Amino acid sequence: MEVKVFFFGVLAEVTGTGFKHYRDVKSISVLKLRIQDEFPEIVHYNFRISLNNEITDKDLLLKSGDEVAFMPPFAGG
Amino acid sequence: MGTKYLTDGPVSQNLISHLIEKIGEKTDSGGHMIFLGQVRADIINGKEVKAIEYSAYESMVNVEAENIKKQILSQFGDVKSIDIIHSTGVVSAGELSLVVLVSAGHRLQAFQACSKTVELIKDKLPVWKKEIFDDDSHMWK
Repeated sequence: MEVKVFFFGVLAEVTGTGFKHYRDVKSISVLKLRIQDEFPEIVHYNFRISLNNEITDKDLLLKSGDEVAFMPPFAGG
Repeated sequence: MGTKYLTDGPVSQNLISHLIEKIGEKTDSGGHMIFLGQVRADIINGKEVKAIEYSAYESMVNVEAENIKKQILSQFGDVKSIDIIHSTGVVSAGELSLVVLVSAGHRLQAFQACSKTVELIKDKLPVWKKEIFDDDSHMWK
């Protein structure tokens, strides 16, 4: 299975990318650990996570094709 | 760009004119409030902001802008329509990065709803900004 992951704002700079695919991540917590391993500095930043355009703080299960976004605090307007 | 809520670069006079032209169709409206957000040349630690680079989560902007409109229409019964357009990409100091147009039957709710819409945009719209300074350094807001 494969999910799409977006990194926005300063996190795009920290990870060096706005977008990556991750395979075989069964839940949000597993995905977070994988990303923290790959980009350890990310733990220094505040962010929220969305799953398919809905912000969540739950450890939801992921399925193939899901879209997860790592979002620092919004700064629009 | 697959959204009516975002525009690439500054909000242009043409875009604003286009929104104002459509006002004539809204014969149930008696008052319209426009808010224009501009990039300000702030001075931070002795450096001047020369531009802001905006980025957005486009699909979620669509969802959240629709939610904002629903909330405003539900809270302000006299409001007839709301237009929201936010910039993405680089907008220089002095240029516009946001337009909100609220049409209502009467002026009171046009004023109130426009103000509330801007507050909701700042709180809920998935947009990020990077300030670019005159020495080309930058800072995320």
